Amino acid sequence: MKKNGNTKIYLLVLLPFLVVVFLYEILPLMMMIISSFRSETDSSVLFTLENYIAAFTKLSYQRAILNSLKITLISTLIGIAIGFLGAQSAHSSQGRLKNLFLTILNMTSNFAGVPLAFAYMIILGNSGVLLLLAETLGLDFLANFDLYTGSGLILMYVYFQIPLSTLLLIPAFSGVREEWKEANTLLGGRGYHFWFKVGIPVLLPSILGTMSVLFANALAAYATAYALLMNNYSLLPVNITGMFTGDMTTRPHLGAALSVVMMLLMLAAIVINNYIIRQTTKWKGR
Amino acid sequence: MKKSRFAPIYIIAVIIYLLIPLVATAIYSMFRKWTGILPEGFTLDHYISLLSNKAFLLTLGRTVIVCIVPIALTVVITLLALFAVTIYFPKLEKYVQFLCMIPYTIQGVILSVSILGLYAGIGGFFGLRLVMLIGAYCIIILPYIYQGIRNSMHAVNMPMLIEAAEMLGASKIGAFFKVIVPNIISGITVSSLLAVGIIFGDYVLIRNITGSSFQNVQIYLFLAMKRSSTEASAVFVIIMLVTFLITALVLYLQSRDKRLRMESKGR
Repeated sequence: MKKNGNTKIYLLVLLPFLVVVFLYEILPLMMMIISSFRSETDSSVLFTLENYIAAFTKLSYQRAILNSLKITLISTLIGIAIGFLGAQSAHSSQGRLKNLFLTILNMTSNFAGVPLAFAYMIILGNSGVLLLLAETLGLDFLANFDLYTGSGLILMYVYFQIPLSTLLLIPAFSGVREEWKEANTLLGGRGYHFWFKVGIPVLLPSILGTMSVLFANALAAYATAYALLMNNYSLLPVNITGMFTGDMTTRPHLGAALSVVMMLLMLAAIVINNYIIRQTTKWKGR
Repeated sequence: MKKSRFAPIYIIAVIIYLLIPLVATAIYSMFRKWTGILPEGFTLDHYISLLSNKAFLLTLGRTVIVCIVPIALTVVITLLALFAVTIYFPKLEKYVQFLCMIPYTIQGVILSVSILGLYAGIGGFFGLRLVMLIGAYCIIILPYIYQGIRNSMHAVNMPMLIEAAEMLGASKIGAFFKVIVPNIISGITVSSLLAVGIIFGDYVLIRNITGSSFQNVQIYLFLAMKRSSTEASAVFVIIMLVTFLITALVLYLQSRDKRLRMESKGR
């Protein structure tokens, strides 16, 4: 019994951690979930679904959810495709070029948010330097590019997805063994046979895991979009923030409901990803 | 060999794509105007006026302070928690891990508005904007600090080291701080630097929680963008230089660690 009493004292060592996590993670989240069921207009109502109904039926919130999903999904898909080829290229090369590539990927992996939006305004904004260059060279498709739209946002989101997806995928390629490629060649297969029949299926868990990181990353991105478009483009994080800190009246309960929707989207990405990984890696257990 | 020709070309293309916005903005910051194909009038005036601007220097100082406090706090509480969990309560480890991973999924926007919603109305210590900000930073860097410390604790085989130190007459907690912490100090440094990178790049938490009353460099850049693009481009270059410096330090420490580990294994 003495030992048992002794160990209990060490719970005190755990206490500071629990206090900080409780005060700034658990309690705020719980209160937000509770707050999302409170009425925005009548403070005597303790439980209502009106905020959630508004989130899914009112056109402006629907648009925010759909815009967020669209930009997140497109930037994730393009990001994973470019990152996959990048990781494969990095895997199959070595020496100085590979080191340079890795260094630049690491350096640019922190390049997002306000600085990224600013850099894109300099090169592609109104009278951006690349636009001027394209105008002089007569490249109309580039000269007429409008950064301050959804496609401008996608371009910037893809930019910050590339270093992340490449860096996350590179370690996975060491699991693709040279013998498999040789076996494929011996059996008369070509490069694309190998990648579509063997390489990508083997890498699928890593690809999906990376995709869910990219998805979360893009869905939660706020600074990049806000610095470029302020409140002129409807996105979930931008709308949520506006409801808590807006210049007009704040709508914290509705904002809380939208936050819960956003959390559920994140959670859905993780759950779907885990499910597919479990389905596709069953063969490994056999 | 078709593939070996493809790889270098692709790598170079991605490198160019990634560098264009950085290099173009850096060049932009060093010239008077860039309205034709080539920039005109080389000058460092933008930097001189920025670095002699008291408001900007104060902002830099505030950014440093707001980095140090939450990181120190999070490192200490995570170290203590992992010590208690690894040695005394192994069953609790998965709960601690779960708590440390939640911030990954909620991220900045939701965390900031939920903290704001809870504490903004109340007075006293918890209602102070700076306290709310530091609490939010502790949570947002928690996954990185936790993983860094846990991985290095696994790498040094902590239970065995503590047992050895106990046999030599040390107490568990004494062994932890005198043997384990010095051994994992480079892991702590690396994860702290990653956390510095996160806080240094933060815009959403500080914007939502402290508003314009407490600016960091990101807010400064945001406001400078509206004023003048040349001033903003100099702020941009300084932010990127600091970010690159942090990343370079992380990469250097990680590669040194790997080399040391390989060498000690080779012996």
